[in-house]
Amino acid sequence: MHAPGTSLHLVDSDEIPRGRVDRGRVDSGRVDDGWIDDGQVVDGRIDSGQIDGASPHRVRIIDGTLTCLARHGTTKTTVDDIARQAGVSRATVYRVFPGGRDEILAAVVDTEMARLFSALGVRLGKAHTLTEALVGGIVEASSRIRNHAALAYLVDNEPELVLAHLAFDESDRLLTTASRFTAPFLARWMSPAEAERVAEWATRIVLSYAIAPSPGTDLTDPGDAERLIATFVIPGIEALHEAAPPTPIVITPFGTGPRGGASPTTAQPQHRKHSQNTEHDKGDRT
Amino acid sequence: MDDTRQRIIEAAYACVARWGLAKTTVEDAAREAKVSRATVYRAFPGGREELINAVVSWATQEFFVRLYEHVQDAGSLEQVMERGIMFAHRAILEHDVLQRVMQTEPGKLLPALTVESIRIRQGIAAFLVPYLAQRGVAPGVDLDEAADFLARMVLSYMSAPGRWDLDDPAQVARLVESELLAGVVAGAGP
Repeated sequence: MHAPGTSLHLVDSDEIPRGRVDRGRVDSGRVDDGWIDDGQVVDGRIDSGQIDGASPHRVRIIDGTLTCLARHGTTKTTVDDIARQAGVSRATVYRVFPGGRDEILAAVVDTEMARLFSALGVRLGKAHTLTEALVGGIVEASSRIRNHAALAYLVDNEPELVLAHLAFDESDRLLTTASRFTAPFLARWMSPAEAERVAEWATRIVLSYAIAPSPGTDLTDPGDAERLIATFVIPGIEALHEAAPPTPIVITPFGTGPRGGASPTTAQPQHRKHSQNTEHDKGDRT
Repeated sequence: MDDTRQRIIEAAYACVARWGLAKTTVEDAAREAKVSRATVYRAFPGGREELINAVVSWATQEFFVRLYEHVQDAGSLEQVMERGIMFAHRAILEHDVLQRVMQTEPGKLLPALTVESIRIRQGIAAFLVPYLAQRGVAPGVDLDEAADFLARMVLSYMSAPGRWDLDDPAQVARLVESELLAGVVAGAGP
């Protein structure tokens, strides 16, 4: 593995899918496409000194930790291992993370979530149609989850750690976070309230197929994802829109009220056009 | 032998309800079931781990038997889904043992529950197939794929409702009509 943060070019896309890519069906040209310019793609994640505006040491320590986790998991990774992998001293690690290992592990989770959301933002922001946004977002998230080396090690060896984020109340929290982030990108095609519902729904779909892969539907494959979206999701979005008026969404914990102050009554005029758009979007997605 | 096995499982479940997963031992289960330790090991050669997995499996099955009883006389696919989601959501919230173990020892429960969830999903899908067949799927929709998709979504909503208020029949009806059935059944949606 390269020294994190030292060289700022995109690696050959051939290098991206390492072993975890299923039957070569991930089109790696899509996976790295359009990311932060000065980032590197390694094991399906962005490796960049710039991405979170954090200190270079912080990023190096986090990336070093990811490498350690992919090899040995959380229980066998020590602060010394992390320091060695990151190429910094033990003292530096403790200066950046006074809480030691636990604080580093929490920062790793936050950073990887931020990286995933940032890549999703790029992907969704570039989409021209609703179908393109949904397919792109679902493929992006599914591919990153599948190709994440540290996550893969933990799923195999410390499953309880991963599952704790995916069950019941924690799953609710994850749905809320992920959909709140992605909804604004979908609000180009529907009201903000509908966008939050649809973003949550797409998150459920990604999680379900990531936790329990289906033999017939591989959501890292754009063709499979598009079929699923066209078959089940687009008709559902139309029904959501035409069913009873949207229930106002009450946003509770993080405090800014409905997104952008928009209410369900400010629904965008192009609502009813999305099905039309989706029929004409083939071919402009590569 | 099956009776003994079943008795031990229910006894172990009672122990889990009282003390949690981590503190339930083979001895506890044997004492509760009024059998010898050797009998427990004969029924569960894998010992404690096999017994605990059997308990999770049995408790999950019990849950779905109750769910099945609640929806079996529903008149339509919509009604099956609506009733099932509302009942399952309530039953999870009101399941004291599940809630307590999730609070105190999620790491012990979740791996076993995740293994179960594959069986559960297949069970829900198999249950839905005849309803879907009777109702008729939309053109181009594969019956088994649709059933699998619905089962995945049902599991997702019942364990994490997200923005949906699953105690409100109007919201549940809207959920079923849109995110669950709109693309699946013939003649639904626009």
